[in-house]
Amino acid sequence: GKSREAKERKAHFIASVPQHPHADDAMIPNLSALENHFGAAAAGSDDLGALFSADAADQLALEFPTCNDFDGFQKATKEMVNNKKGTTTLSFIFDKGVIVAADSRASMGGYISSQTVRKIIEINPYMLGTMAGGAADCQFWHRNLGVKCRLHELANKRRISIAGSSKTLANILYSYRGMGLSIGTMIAGFDETGPGLYYVDSEGARLKGSRFSVGSGSLYAYGILDEGYKFNMSVEEAAELARRAIYHATFRDGASGGCVSVYYVGPDGWKKLSGDDVGELHYHYYPVQAAPVEQEMAEAPSAST
Amino acid sequence: MTKDGVVLAVEKRVTSPLLEPSSVEKIMEIDEHVGCAMSGLIADARTLVEHARVETQNHRFSYGEPMTVESTTQAICDLALRFGEGDEESMSRPFGVSLLIAGHDENGPSLYYTDPSGTFWQCNAKAIGSGSEGADSSLQDQYNKELTIAEAETIALSILKQVMEEKVTPNNVDIAKVSPSYHLYTPAEVEAVIARL
Repeated sequence: GKSREAKERKAHFIASVPQHPHADDAMIPNLSALENHFGAAAAGSDDLGALFSADAADQLALEFPTCNDFDGFQKATKEMVNNKKGTTTLSFIFDKGVIVAADSRASMGGYISSQTVRKIIEINPYMLGTMAGGAADCQFWHRNLGVKCRLHELANKRRISIAGSSKTLANILYSYRGMGLSIGTMIAGFDETGPGLYYVDSEGARLKGSRFSVGSGSLYAYGILDEGYKFNMSVEEAAELARRAIYHATFRDGASGGCVSVYYVGPDGWKKLSGDDVGELHYHYYPVQAAPVEQEMAEAPSAST
Repeated sequence: MTKDGVVLAVEKRVTSPLLEPSSVEKIMEIDEHVGCAMSGLIADARTLVEHARVETQNHRFSYGEPMTVESTTQAICDLALRFGEGDEESMSRPFGVSLLIAGHDENGPSLYYTDPSGTFWQCNAKAIGSGSEGADSSLQDQYNKELTIAEAETIALSILKQVMEEKVTPNNVDIAKVSPSYHLYTPAEVEAVIARL
Protein backbone atom coordinates (compact mmCIF):
# COMPACT_ATOMS: atom_id res chain seq x y z
CA GLY A 1 0.00 0.00 0.00
CA LYS A 2 0.94 3.64 0.04
CA SER A 3 2.41 3.65 3.53
CA ARG A 4 4.62 0.64 2.89
CA GLU A 5 5.89 2.23 -0.27
CA ALA A 6 6.33 5.44 1.60
CA LYS A 7 8.33 3.62 4.24
CA GLU A 8 10.45 2.04 1.53
CA ARG A 9 11.04 5.43 0.03
CA LYS A 10 12.04 6.61 3.44
CA ALA A 11 14.94 4.21 3.11
CA HIS A 12 16.26 7.03 1.05
CA PHE A 13 19.96 6.95 1.28
CA ILE A 14 20.42 10.14 3.24
CA ALA A 15 17.62 9.31 5.64
CA SER A 16 18.65 5.73 5.98
CA VAL A 17 22.34 6.25 6.65
CA PRO A 18 21.69 4.62 9.98
CA GLN A 19 21.26 7.54 12.30
CA HIS A 20 22.17 6.68 15.83
CA PRO A 21 18.96 6.77 17.90
CA HIS A 22 20.28 9.78 19.75
CA ALA A 23 21.76 11.58 16.78
CA ASP A 24 18.91 14.08 16.52
CA ASP A 25 19.47 15.29 20.06
CA ALA A 26 22.87 16.64 19.27
CA MET A 27 23.19 18.49 22.54
CA ILE A 28 22.09 15.60 24.77
CA PRO A 29 25.03 13.36 25.71
CA ASN A 30 24.87 9.82 24.48
CA LEU A 31 24.34 7.73 27.61
CA SER A 32 23.33 4.49 25.92
CA ALA A 33 26.59 2.88 26.97
CA LEU A 34 25.58 3.23 30.61
CA GLU A 35 22.38 1.22 30.18
CA ASN A 36 22.73 -2.28 31.49
CA HIS A 37 21.45 -4.20 28.47
CA PHE A 38 22.06 -7.60 29.98
CA GLY A 39 19.97 -6.90 33.04
CA ALA A 40 17.07 -5.78 30.88
CA ALA A 41 17.38 -8.82 28.63
CA ALA A 42 17.38 -11.24 31.54
CA ALA A 43 14.36 -9.66 33.19
CA GLY A 44 12.09 -9.20 30.19
CA SER A 45 12.54 -12.21 27.94
CA ASP A 46 9.51 -14.37 28.59
CA ASP A 47 9.92 -16.66 25.61
CA LEU A 48 13.48 -17.46 26.63
CA GLY A 49 12.21 -18.27 30.11
CA ALA A 50 9.60 -20.56 28.61
CA LEU A 51 12.25 -22.19 26.48
CA PHE A 52 14.38 -23.17 29.41
CA SER A 53 11.81 -23.75 32.12
CA ALA A 54 8.28 -24.85 31.35
CA ASP A 55 6.70 -24.04 34.73
CA ALA A 56 8.44 -20.85 35.96
CA ALA A 57 7.46 -18.16 33.47
CA ASP A 58 8.98 -15.28 35.43
CA GLN A 59 11.94 -17.14 36.88
CA LEU A 60 14.64 -18.05 34.41
CA ALA A 61 16.30 -21.43 34.85
CA LEU A 62 19.35 -20.08 33.07
CA GLU A 63 21.11 -17.19 34.72
CA PHE A 64 22.21 -14.57 32.24
CA PRO A 65 25.56 -13.11 33.22
CA THR A 66 25.02 -9.54 34.27
CA CYS A 67 27.69 -7.21 33.11
CA ASN A 68 29.15 -5.00 35.79
CA ASP A 69 31.57 -3.25 33.53
CA PHE A 70 29.70 -2.64 30.32
CA ASP A 71 32.22 -0.07 29.11
CA GLY A 72 35.01 -2.57 29.51
CA PHE A 73 33.01 -5.23 27.73
CA GLN A 74 32.28 -2.89 24.87
CA LYS A 75 35.94 -1.92 24.67
CA ALA A 76 37.00 -5.56 24.59
CA THR A 77 34.58 -6.24 21.75
CA LYS A 78 36.02 -3.35 19.79
CA GLU A 79 39.56 -4.47 20.52
CA MET A 80 38.75 -7.80 18.95
CA VAL A 81 38.39 -6.10 15.58
CA ASN A 82 40.97 -3.44 16.31
CA ASN A 83 42.30 -1.76 13.21
CA LYS A 84 45.60 -0.41 14.35
CA LYS A 85 45.78 2.32 11.70
CA GLY A 86 48.83 0.82 10.01
CA THR A 87 49.71 3.56 7.65
CA THR A 88 51.48 6.87 7.34
CA THR A 89 49.68 9.97 6.20
CA LEU A 90 50.64 13.55 6.70
CA SER A 91 49.47 17.00 5.81
CA PHE A 92 50.69 20.51 6.48
CA ILE A 93 49.82 24.10 5.64
CA PHE A 94 52.42 26.43 4.21
CA ASP A 95 52.29 29.84 2.64
CA LYS A 96 51.16 28.60 -0.79
CA GLY A 97 48.48 26.15 0.36
CA VAL A 98 48.32 22.62 1.77
CA ILE A 99 50.37 19.54 1.03
CA VAL A 100 48.84 16.10 1.60
CA ALA A 101 50.90 12.94 1.36
CA ALA A 102 50.39 9.27 2.16
CA ASP A 103 51.85 5.82 1.64
CA SER A 104 49.90 3.04 -0.07
CA ARG A 105 50.26 -0.12 1.95
CA ALA A 106 47.37 -2.08 3.45
CA SER A 107 48.19 -4.76 5.98
CA MET A 108 46.15 -7.48 7.64
CA GLY A 109 48.28 -8.33 10.65
CA GLY A 110 51.57 -9.43 9.19
CA TYR A 111 50.21 -9.93 5.70
CA ILE A 112 50.57 -7.10 3.22
CA SER A 113 47.24 -7.16 1.46
CA SER A 114 47.98 -4.35 -0.97
CA GLN A 115 50.78 -2.00 -1.97
CA THR A 116 48.58 0.17 -4.15
CA VAL A 117 45.90 1.59 -1.89
CA ARG A 118 44.70 5.11 -2.64
CA LYS A 119 44.79 6.65 0.79
CA ILE A 120 44.13 10.19 -0.33
CA ILE A 121 40.45 10.48 -1.05
CA GLU A 122 39.19 13.22 -3.33
CA ILE A 123 36.07 14.53 -1.62
CA ASN A 124 35.56 17.26 -4.20
CA PRO A 125 37.81 19.32 -6.49
CA TYR A 126 39.09 21.50 -3.67
CA MET A 127 39.04 19.14 -0.68
CA LEU A 128 40.99 16.01 0.16
CA GLY A 129 40.69 13.48 2.95
CA THR A 130 43.27 10.97 4.11
CA MET A 131 42.66 7.39 5.06
CA ALA A 132 43.94 5.75 8.21
CA GLY A 133 42.25 2.95 10.08
CA GLY A 134 39.49 0.94 8.46
CA ALA A 135 39.67 1.40 4.70
CA ALA A 136 35.97 0.79 4.16
CA ASP A 137 35.01 3.16 6.95
CA CYS A 138 37.22 5.93 5.56
CA GLN A 139 36.13 5.49 1.97
CA PHE A 140 32.42 5.32 2.73
CA TRP A 141 32.31 8.24 5.11
CA HIS A 142 34.44 10.44 2.89
CA ARG A 143 32.15 9.76 -0.07
CA ASN A 144 29.17 10.43 2.16
CA LEU A 145 30.80 13.69 3.21
CA GLY A 146 31.22 14.51 -0.48
CA VAL A 147 27.47 14.11 -0.99
CA LYS A 148 26.69 16.38 1.94
CA CYS A 149 29.18 19.01 0.78
CA ARG A 150 27.65 19.02 -2.70
CA LEU A 151 24.11 19.38 -1.33
CA HIS A 152 25.32 22.25 0.84
CA GLU A 153 26.81 23.89 -2.24
CA LEU A 154 23.59 23.56 -4.20
CA ALA A 155 21.41 24.84 -1.39
CA ASN A 156 23.64 27.74 -0.38
CA LYS A 157 25.13 28.61 -3.78
CA ARG A 158 28.63 28.66 -2.34
CA ARG A 159 31.19 26.07 -1.45
CA ILE A 160 31.23 24.66 2.05
CA SER A 161 34.18 25.74 4.17
CA ILE A 162 36.78 23.24 5.35
CA ALA A 163 35.74 24.01 8.94
CA GLY A 164 32.14 23.25 8.04
CA SER A 165 32.81 20.00 6.24
CA SER A 166 35.17 18.70 8.93
CA LYS A 167 32.55 19.57 11.54
CA THR A 168 29.90 17.68 9.54
CA LEU A 169 32.12 14.61 9.47
CA ALA A 170 33.10 14.93 13.14
CA ASN A 171 29.45 15.15 14.20
CA ILE A 172 28.57 12.05 12.21
CA LEU A 173 31.51 10.11 13.64
CA TYR A 174 30.64 11.21 17.16
CA SER A 175 27.16 9.80 16.79
CA TYR A 176 28.73 6.41 15.98
CA ARG A 177 31.16 6.62 18.87
CA GLY A 178 31.75 3.30 20.57
CA MET A 179 30.33 1.28 17.68
CA GLY A 180 33.65 0.21 16.26
CA LEU A 181 34.30 2.68 13.45
CA SER A 182 38.02 3.16 12.94
CA ILE A 183 38.83 6.39 11.15
CA GLY A 184 41.79 8.73 11.58
CA THR A 185 41.50 11.28 8.86
CA MET A 186 42.69 14.72 7.93
CA ILE A 187 40.39 16.99 5.95
CA ALA A 188 42.55 19.36 3.93
CA GLY A 189 41.46 21.99 1.47
CA PHE A 190 41.27 25.54 0.33
CA ASP A 191 38.26 27.77 0.95
CA GLU A 192 37.42 31.47 1.07
CA THR A 193 39.42 31.97 4.25
CA GLY A 194 42.50 30.30 2.78
CA PRO A 195 44.04 26.88 3.39
CA GLY A 196 42.40 24.67 6.01
CA LEU A 197 43.49 21.50 7.77
CA TYR A 198 41.56 19.55 10.36
CA TYR A 199 42.23 16.21 12.03
CA VAL A 200 39.05 14.19 12.61
CA ASP A 201 38.86 10.75 14.16
CA SER A 202 36.36 8.07 15.02
CA GLU A 203 36.52 8.91 18.71
CA GLY A 204 34.87 12.19 17.78
CA ALA A 205 37.94 14.45 18.04
CA ARG A 206 38.30 17.37 15.67
CA LEU A 207 41.47 19.43 15.82
CA LYS A 208 42.46 22.41 13.74
CA GLY A 209 46.15 22.59 13.02
CA SER A 210 48.86 23.35 10.54
CA ARG A 211 50.86 20.08 10.70
CA PHE A 212 49.47 16.61 11.24
CA SER A 213 50.63 13.07 10.67
CA VAL A 214 48.38 10.09 11.30
CA GLY A 215 49.09 6.37 11.46
CA SER A 216 51.59 3.90 12.81
CA GLY A 217 54.39 5.55 10.86
CA SER A 218 53.47 9.04 11.99
CA LEU A 219 56.20 9.17 14.62
CA TYR A 220 58.90 8.75 12.01
CA ALA A 221 57.21 11.14 9.62
CA TYR A 222 56.91 13.81 12.32
CA GLY A 223 60.66 13.59 12.89
CA ILE A 224 61.45 14.56 9.31
CA LEU A 225 58.48 16.91 8.92
CA ASP A 226 59.06 18.95 12.07
CA GLU A 227 62.77 19.26 11.36
CA GLY A 228 62.43 20.42 7.78
CA TYR A 229 59.28 22.54 8.04
CA LYS A 230 59.27 26.24 7.20
CA PHE A 231 56.16 28.28 6.57
CA ASN A 232 57.66 29.93 3.50
CA MET A 233 58.49 27.25 0.96
CA SER A 234 57.96 26.71 -2.70
CA VAL A 235 55.48 24.05 -3.74
CA GLU A 236 58.36 21.88 -4.90
CA GLU A 237 60.24 22.18 -1.61
CA ALA A 238 57.11 21.41 0.37
CA ALA A 239 56.36 18.37 -1.78
CA GLU A 240 59.89 17.10 -1.38
CA LEU A 241 59.65 17.49 2.41
CA ALA A 242 56.41 15.50 2.46
CA ARG A 243 57.86 12.84 0.18
CA ARG A 244 60.97 12.43 2.34
CA ALA A 245 58.92 12.27 5.52
CA ILE A 246 56.68 9.50 4.20
CA TYR A 247 59.67 7.66 2.75
CA HIS A 248 61.45 7.63 6.10
CA ALA A 249 58.30 6.39 7.80
CA THR A 250 57.99 3.54 5.31
CA PHE A 251 61.63 2.70 5.90
CA ARG A 252 61.15 2.07 9.60
CA ASP A 253 57.49 1.17 9.95
CA GLY A 254 56.49 -2.27 8.69
CA ALA A 255 52.89 -1.32 8.22
CA SER A 256 53.74 1.49 5.77
CA GLY A 257 55.13 1.14 2.28
CA GLY A 258 54.24 0.91 -1.37
CA CYS A 259 54.32 4.32 -3.00
CA VAL A 260 54.28 7.86 -1.72
CA SER A 261 51.53 10.03 -3.20
CA VAL A 262 51.89 13.77 -2.79
CA TYR A 263 49.03 16.18 -3.48
CA TYR A 264 49.01 19.96 -3.39
CA VAL A 265 45.85 21.95 -2.64
CA GLY A 266 45.93 25.54 -3.79
CA PRO A 267 43.37 28.26 -4.49
CA ASP A 268 42.36 26.47 -7.71
CA GLY A 269 41.85 23.09 -6.06
CA TRP A 270 43.96 20.02 -5.59
CA LYS A 271 46.55 18.60 -7.93
CA LYS A 272 48.42 15.32 -7.64
CA LEU A 273 52.09 16.13 -7.76
CA SER A 274 53.78 12.74 -7.65
CA GLY A 275 53.51 9.06 -6.90
CA ASP A 276 56.86 7.41 -6.27
CA ASP A 277 57.69 3.86 -5.28
CA VAL A 278 59.50 3.88 -1.93
CA GLY A 279 62.03 1.32 -3.09
CA GLU A 280 63.10 3.62 -5.88
CA LEU A 281 63.07 6.58 -3.52
CA HIS A 282 65.42 4.73 -1.21
CA TYR A 283 68.08 4.40 -3.87
CA HIS A 284 67.39 7.96 -4.97
CA TYR A 285 68.17 9.27 -1.49
CA TYR A 286 70.86 6.73 -0.68
CA PRO A 287 72.48 5.66 -3.93
CA VAL A 288 74.61 2.52 -3.77
CA GLN A 289 78.20 3.51 -3.12
CA ALA A 290 80.64 1.44 -5.10
CA ALA A 291 82.67 -0.26 -2.36
CA PRO A 292 86.42 0.07 -2.86
CA VAL A 293 87.70 -3.22 -4.21
CA GLU A 294 90.43 -4.72 -2.05
CA GLN A 295 91.30 -7.79 -3.93
CA GLU A 296 90.28 -8.42 -7.43
CA MET A 297 90.23 -11.86 -8.87
CA ALA A 298 92.55 -12.11 -11.84
CA GLU A 299 91.11 -13.48 -15.03
CA ALA A 300 91.51 -17.24 -14.87
CA PRO A 301 93.50 -18.47 -17.81
CA SER A 302 91.05 -20.11 -20.16
CA ALA A 303 91.55 -23.79 -20.55
CA SER A 304 92.60 -24.60 -24.03
CA THR A 305 92.48 -27.89 -25.60
CA MET B 1 17.28 22.35 -27.34
CA THR B 2 20.24 22.42 -29.69
CA LYS B 3 22.91 19.93 -30.69
CA ASP B 4 25.34 21.58 -28.28
CA GLY B 5 23.05 22.05 -25.32
CA VAL B 6 19.78 23.38 -23.97
CA VAL B 7 18.83 26.99 -23.28
CA LEU B 8 16.30 28.03 -20.60
CA ALA B 9 14.88 31.51 -20.29
CA VAL B 10 12.36 32.81 -17.74
CA GLU B 11 10.51 36.01 -17.08
CA LYS B 12 11.12 36.89 -13.46
CA ARG B 13 7.80 38.78 -13.03
CA VAL B 14 9.19 41.42 -10.65
CA THR B 15 5.94 42.83 -9.32
CA SER B 16 7.31 45.89 -7.56
CA PRO B 17 10.36 48.14 -7.93
CA LEU B 18 10.99 47.49 -4.24
CA LEU B 19 11.42 43.77 -4.86
CA GLU B 20 15.04 42.58 -5.01
CA PRO B 21 15.32 40.97 -8.48
CA SER B 22 18.18 38.66 -7.54
CA SER B 23 15.99 36.99 -4.92
CA VAL B 24 13.54 35.79 -7.55
CA GLU B 25 15.00 32.44 -8.50
CA LYS B 26 13.04 30.67 -11.20
CA ILE B 27 15.88 28.67 -12.70
CA MET B 28 17.77 26.39 -10.34
CA GLU B 29 20.64 23.99 -10.63
CA ILE B 30 19.83 20.39 -9.78
CA ASP B 31 23.25 18.94 -10.51
CA GLU B 32 26.22 19.91 -12.58
CA HIS B 33 24.57 18.57 -15.71
CA VAL B 34 20.88 19.31 -15.02
CA GLY B 35 19.00 22.52 -14.42
CA CYS B 36 15.34 23.39 -14.26
CA ALA B 37 13.02 26.29 -14.86
CA MET B 38 9.73 26.57 -12.98
CA SER B 39 6.30 28.08 -13.40
CA GLY B 40 3.50 28.09 -10.82
CA LEU B 41 3.78 27.85 -7.05
CA ILE B 42 7.49 28.46 -6.65
CA ALA B 43 7.58 27.12 -3.09
CA ASP B 44 6.28 23.76 -4.32
CA ALA B 45 8.97 23.79 -6.97
CA ARG B 46 11.67 24.25 -4.36
CA THR B 47 10.58 21.02 -2.66
CA LEU B 48 10.76 19.18 -5.97
CA VAL B 49 14.17 20.63 -6.79
CA GLU B 50 15.52 19.74 -3.35
CA HIS B 51 14.28 16.18 -3.80
CA ALA B 52 15.89 16.01 -7.25
CA ARG B 53 19.17 17.29 -5.84
CA VAL B 54 19.23 14.61 -3.16
CA GLU B 55 18.31 11.91 -5.71
CA THR B 56 21.06 12.93 -8.13
CA GLN B 57 23.67 12.99 -5.38
CA ASN B 58 22.52 9.59 -4.09
CA HIS B 59 22.82 8.24 -7.60
CA ARG B 60 26.35 9.59 -7.90
CA PHE B 61 27.18 8.07 -4.53
CA SER B 62 25.70 4.67 -5.29
CA TYR B 63 26.77 4.26 -8.90
CA GLY B 64 29.69 6.63 -9.34
CA GLU B 65 28.12 8.30 -12.40
CA PRO B 66 25.81 11.24 -13.09
CA MET B 67 22.09 10.41 -13.16
CA THR B 68 20.49 10.53 -16.60
CA VAL B 69 18.15 13.44 -17.24
CA GLU B 70 15.21 11.12 -17.79
CA SER B 71 15.79 9.35 -14.47
CA THR B 72 16.03 12.70 -12.72
CA THR B 73 12.75 13.77 -14.32
CA GLN B 74 11.18 10.45 -13.36
CA ALA B 75 12.30 10.94 -9.74
CA ILE B 76 10.67 14.37 -9.67
CA CYS B 77 7.46 13.07 -11.19
CA ASP B 78 7.31 10.18 -8.71
CA LEU B 79 7.25 12.73 -5.94
CA ALA B 80 4.64 14.85 -7.71
CA LEU B 81 2.41 11.78 -8.13
CA ARG B 82 2.40 10.94 -4.45
CA PHE B 83 1.99 14.56 -3.35
CA GLY B 84 5.18 14.19 -1.34
CA GLU B 85 7.05 11.50 0.50
CA GLY B 86 6.23 9.52 3.59
CA ASP B 87 3.29 9.73 5.96
CA GLU B 88 4.16 12.98 7.65
CA GLU B 89 5.68 14.93 4.80
CA SER B 90 3.12 14.19 2.13
CA MET B 91 0.81 17.01 1.14
CA SER B 92 -2.94 16.86 0.80
CA ARG B 93 -2.84 18.56 -2.58
CA PRO B 94 -0.81 18.20 -5.79
CA PHE B 95 2.35 20.21 -6.33
CA GLY B 96 1.12 23.27 -8.18
CA VAL B 97 4.07 23.71 -10.51
CA SER B 98 5.26 22.84 -14.01
CA LEU B 99 8.95 22.35 -14.62
CA LEU B 100 11.21 22.43 -17.62
CA ILE B 101 14.13 20.15 -16.90
CA ALA B 102 17.16 20.71 -19.09
CA GLY B 103 20.18 18.50 -18.98
CA HIS B 104 23.03 16.78 -20.71
CA ASP B 105 23.92 13.12 -20.27
CA GLU B 106 25.38 10.21 -22.23
CA ASN B 107 22.47 10.53 -24.70
CA GLY B 108 23.31 14.16 -25.42
CA PRO B 109 21.24 17.23 -24.53
CA SER B 110 17.58 16.77 -23.57
CA LEU B 111 14.61 18.79 -22.38
CA TYR B 112 11.65 17.48 -20.39
CA TYR B 113 8.41 19.13 -19.42
CA THR B 114 6.54 18.04 -16.26
CA ASP B 115 3.15 19.05 -14.93
CA PRO B 116 1.33 18.65 -11.59
CA SER B 117 -0.15 15.32 -12.63
CA GLY B 118 3.29 13.78 -12.54
CA THR B 119 3.43 13.17 -16.29
CA PHE B 120 6.47 14.18 -18.25
CA TRP B 121 7.13 14.66 -21.93
CA GLN B 122 10.40 15.06 -23.76
CA CYS B 123 10.44 18.12 -25.98
CA ASN B 124 12.73 19.89 -28.38
CA ALA B 125 11.30 23.23 -27.35
CA LYS B 126 8.57 24.23 -24.90
CA ALA B 127 7.07 27.25 -23.23
CA ILE B 128 5.26 27.13 -19.90
CA GLY B 129 3.45 29.72 -17.83
CA SER B 130 0.93 32.43 -18.44
CA GLY B 131 1.97 33.45 -21.94
CA SER B 132 2.76 29.91 -22.98
CA GLU B 133 0.21 29.42 -25.75
CA GLY B 134 1.47 32.34 -27.81
CA ALA B 135 5.04 31.47 -26.96
CA ASP B 136 4.59 27.81 -27.94
CA SER B 137 3.25 28.68 -31.38
CA SER B 138 6.11 31.14 -31.94
CA LEU B 139 8.52 28.41 -30.92
CA GLN B 140 6.95 26.05 -33.45
CA ASP B 141 7.60 28.59 -36.20
CA GLN B 142 11.12 29.53 -35.22
CA TYR B 143 12.61 26.31 -33.87
CA ASN B 144 14.69 23.96 -35.97
CA LYS B 145 17.16 21.26 -35.03
CA GLU B 146 20.20 22.98 -36.50
CA LEU B 147 20.19 25.95 -34.14
CA THR B 148 23.35 27.00 -32.34
CA ILE B 149 23.35 28.02 -28.69
CA ALA B 150 23.62 31.69 -29.63
CA GLU B 151 20.64 31.45 -32.00
CA ALA B 152 18.65 29.58 -29.37
CA GLU B 153 19.38 32.34 -26.83
CA THR B 154 18.17 35.00 -29.23
CA ILE B 155 15.00 33.11 -30.14
CA ALA B 156 14.19 32.35 -26.48
CA LEU B 157 14.62 35.95 -25.47
CA SER B 158 12.74 37.37 -28.44
CA ILE B 159 9.76 35.13 -27.71
CA LEU B 160 9.87 36.18 -24.05
CA LYS B 161 9.88 39.78 -25.20
CA GLN B 162 6.73 39.14 -27.26
CA VAL B 163 4.78 37.81 -24.30
CA MET B 164 6.19 40.09 -21.62
CA GLU B 165 4.49 43.36 -20.84
CA GLU B 166 7.60 45.14 -19.59
CA LYS B 167 10.75 45.83 -21.49
CA VAL B 168 13.37 43.05 -21.30
CA THR B 169 16.25 43.96 -18.98
CA PRO B 170 18.85 41.81 -17.16
CA ASN B 171 16.83 42.41 -13.99
CA ASN B 172 13.58 40.87 -15.12
CA VAL B 173 14.74 37.84 -17.11
CA ASP B 174 16.99 34.91 -16.30
CA ILE B 175 18.79 32.74 -18.82
CA ALA B 176 20.64 29.51 -18.22
CA LYS B 177 22.16 26.88 -20.41
CA VAL B 178 23.31 23.31 -19.99
CA SER B 179 26.06 22.71 -22.55
CA PRO B 180 27.27 20.31 -21.27
CA SER B 181 27.28 21.71 -17.74
CA TYR B 182 24.80 24.03 -16.09
CA HIS B 183 25.53 27.74 -16.19
CA LEU B 184 23.31 30.59 -15.04
CA TYR B 185 24.00 33.74 -17.03
CA THR B 186 25.40 36.75 -15.23
CA PRO B 187 23.59 40.08 -15.78
CA ALA B 188 26.39 41.05 -18.18
CA GLU B 189 25.85 37.94 -20.29
CA VAL B 190 22.08 38.53 -20.34
CA GLU B 191 22.77 42.10 -21.46
CA ALA B 192 24.87 40.74 -24.32
CA VAL B 193 21.98 38.58 -25.55
CA ILE B 194 19.52 41.47 -25.23
CA ALA B 195 21.84 43.56 -27.36
CA ARG B 196 21.55 41.00 -30.16
CA LEU B 197 17.73 41.11 -30.26
